[in-house]
Amino acid sequence: MEQLMADLKKQIIEALNLKHLKPEDIGDDQALFVEGLGLDSIDALELIVLLQQHYNIKLANPQDGPQIFKSVRTIAEYIQANKPS
Amino acid sequence: MAIYLKGKGNISPQQTWGDASLLDQPKPAAGNRLACVEPDYTQYMDVRQLRRMSRILKMGVAAGSMALKEANITVPDGIITGTSYGCLEDTGIFLGKMIENKEYALNPTPFIQSTHNTIGSQIALLLQCQGYNQTYTQGAFSFEHALLDALTLLADEPNQALLVGAADEITNTSHTVQQRFGIFKDEHNTLETVNGEGVAYFVLSGEKGPSDVVAITAVTTLYNADEATLSAGIVRFLKDAGINASDIDLLLLGTSGNAAHDAFAETIATTHFANSTQAHFKHLSGEYPTASAFAVWLAARILETKAVPQNIVVKNSGRPVKRVLVYNPYFTKYHSLILLEAC
Repeated sequence: MEQLMADLKKQIIEALNLKHLKPEDIGDDQALFVEGLGLDSIDALELIVLLQQHYNIKLANPQDGPQIFKSVRTIAEYIQANKPS
Repeated sequence: MAIYLKGKGNISPQQTWGDASLLDQPKPAAGNRLACVEPDYTQYMDVRQLRRMSRILKMGVAAGSMALKEANITVPDGIITGTSYGCLEDTGIFLGKMIENKEYALNPTPFIQSTHNTIGSQIALLLQCQGYNQTYTQGAFSFEHALLDALTLLADEPNQALLVGAADEITNTSHTVQQRFGIFKDEHNTLETVNGEGVAYFVLSGEKGPSDVVAITAVTTLYNADEATLSAGIVRFLKDAGINASDIDLLLLGTSGNAAHDAFAETIATTHFANSTQAHFKHLSGEYPTASAFAVWLAARILETKAVPQNIVVKNSGRPVKRVLVYNPYFTKYHSLILLEAC
């Protein structure tokens, strides 16, 4: 889980071009949207693509997005629960 | 009708922003390519806004900000942009990813930002400008059509202040593709033409302010004209503007260093403007479809400073410059005329 969250932070920085941040600047439970990292709806689309490209996971129900993309930890938990075998 | 220049911003292959020594030491091309001298963009936008923008968007926002600052305007009444190639970098990324990912799981950002109207839209979003927003994409007439639209709008509502400009960028891919056409200098030809890029914005209004010193008084385009048609077109254009060729103090000529193409324009210059000072500008900007926007910036600066940079002059008449005609040929098909006057 720790390794997965560390990988996710690097991938999020890369995918969203958050050059002003280092992985250690993103807390495991820090909110990613609005008051947290300040991500927006286009970033949400990029995160959906990130899950497809890196983990081969296609979001079944986009309405689950706000819960899944709440923090790095919630994304990691979703990946662990849905990773193709 | 005259429209008055309130402010200008220009990011080009030369140092055209930031200090008083503009154009003193022209920057040479790297091979056959002139790349823009770019400012520190964090002066113009938040670092979080920058992260998603490609280079042409950053240049557009910064050039627009420079023009608005000079005009002392926060939000314009409208934004009009001309671009031939649009946002090439994002287009290249998007198309590349389509191949790389086999049309699966494509990143949305480069797709969203690959459209031509992203530049004007991005400026409007950052300024929260909900006014008129139009992008013209008529090849090498894109900037001219943006100007013609501004002239039309300001004829109806002269008190408006419009942000009007042009943007085109070189990417590695576009440069490679264009080089294959043999249009830029290389070891296989004797051309002097270099690839160029640039973004220039102007704040224009139909009402003259007390500090305004430059007006754009006429714009026209001539497509695929032979020498006789072009010659007659120039005479008619000047006559419609209420002047004749001998009234032009400075001819700013967009010859590119291709002897076969330039001969046409040089003949026009010799025939009609023998008594005018003649100057070139594409050794500074490079050749690209909206290079006439660079020429308008240069003409405005000459009228403001009352000085013609010596490194652009090819024939000096010694006349004080109060009226400038920008004649920009783009290869052999596109010819545009933009008349600027001191006011």
